[in-house]
Amino acid sequence: MIPVRCFTCGKVISTAWKEFEERRDAGEDPKRILDDLGLERYCCRRMLLTHKVVVEDLNPYQ
Amino acid sequence: MEIAFSRLDERVAKFTLSGVSTSFANMFRRAMVSEVPTLAIEEVRVYDNTSVLFDEMLTHRLGLIPLRTDLKRYKPRSECTCDGVGCPVCTATYTLSVEGPKTVYSDDLIPQDPDAAPAEEKIPIIDLERDQKVVLEAQAIVSTGSEHAKWQATTACGYKNYPEIAIDERCDGCGMCVDECPRNVLEAAQGKVQVIEGREEFCSLCRLCERACLAGGIGTEAAIHIGADTNRFIFVVEGDGSMPVRDIIERALQYIQKSSDDLVDVMNEITGEGTE
Repeated sequence: MIPVRCFTCGKVISTAWKEFEERRDAGEDPKRILDDLGLERYCCRRMLLTHKVVVEDLNPYQ
Repeated sequence: MEIAFSRLDERVAKFTLSGVSTSFANMFRRAMVSEVPTLAIEEVRVYDNTSVLFDEMLTHRLGLIPLRTDLKRYKPRSECTCDGVGCPVCTATYTLSVEGPKTVYSDDLIPQDPDAAPAEEKIPIIDLERDQKVVLEAQAIVSTGSEHAKWQATTACGYKNYPEIAIDERCDGCGMCVDECPRNVLEAAQGKVQVIEGREEFCSLCRLCERACLAGGIGTEAAIHIGADTNRFIFVVEGDGSMPVRDIIERALQYIQKSSDDLVDVMNEITGEGTE
């Protein structure tokens, strides 16, 4: 799961994840998506850029 | 002391505070960050959780959700008449009862008091697969950022000195500093470099322009000088949505006033003198 807030500044960034993921997978440049989503600071930007979804990998081991 | 707002929205404020010392500016910043009370989920009763996250992870995520806070409505538990038991005056209650497959968002969290609803509706809490279930009851209380960052009303909250850019007559308008400036503060016009109108505030005091000027072979001293006004500050305050930034600023100032009044009282008590 994407962290609720940015680790560094505390801005709520999880609301932007769904759109970011969809647009990134569609092949759009992450820089443009992040600018569109209003994530200005590099602390918030790295939260989305470096996130890896593992919830689905964990599901079989419930 | 003077305060001039260049931006005041619900979430973000930008203003120039002039005629104060650095220590006052920092006190103001610290008061906004750690002494403005807000609501945040503190206690959770988990009745059922068959999701991939442990109870602790799930409740941690719940705690970080910003909640709309009306401070006239809620009191800190330490000041409440219920003696820390928890009553509607000091506690906001939420219930969450969901079954997969679905993504659970913060608007699935049902508040007992609609005025204390989550500030953002689409914060993902957990992805549920088929047959996975989460049933819980959460209690939010009022506290401050000095206790835990989840009660912090601000996200980015900081200040910098007001930049003073001076360009002397030795400038030959070579434009090397203009190319070097990462914030696009400078421009070359009529054989001389000048500050673009209204861009001065954007200077980050990085002094790359001074270095570029020296590299241009002007001598031992650069023709451009970057200084900082030590009595003038540019503040940027960003709220997390729990209350308008205006209220955060007012609350912080009230806190400063109250604590300085308390200090005067204590000093008077120690010296045994009346108020002066």
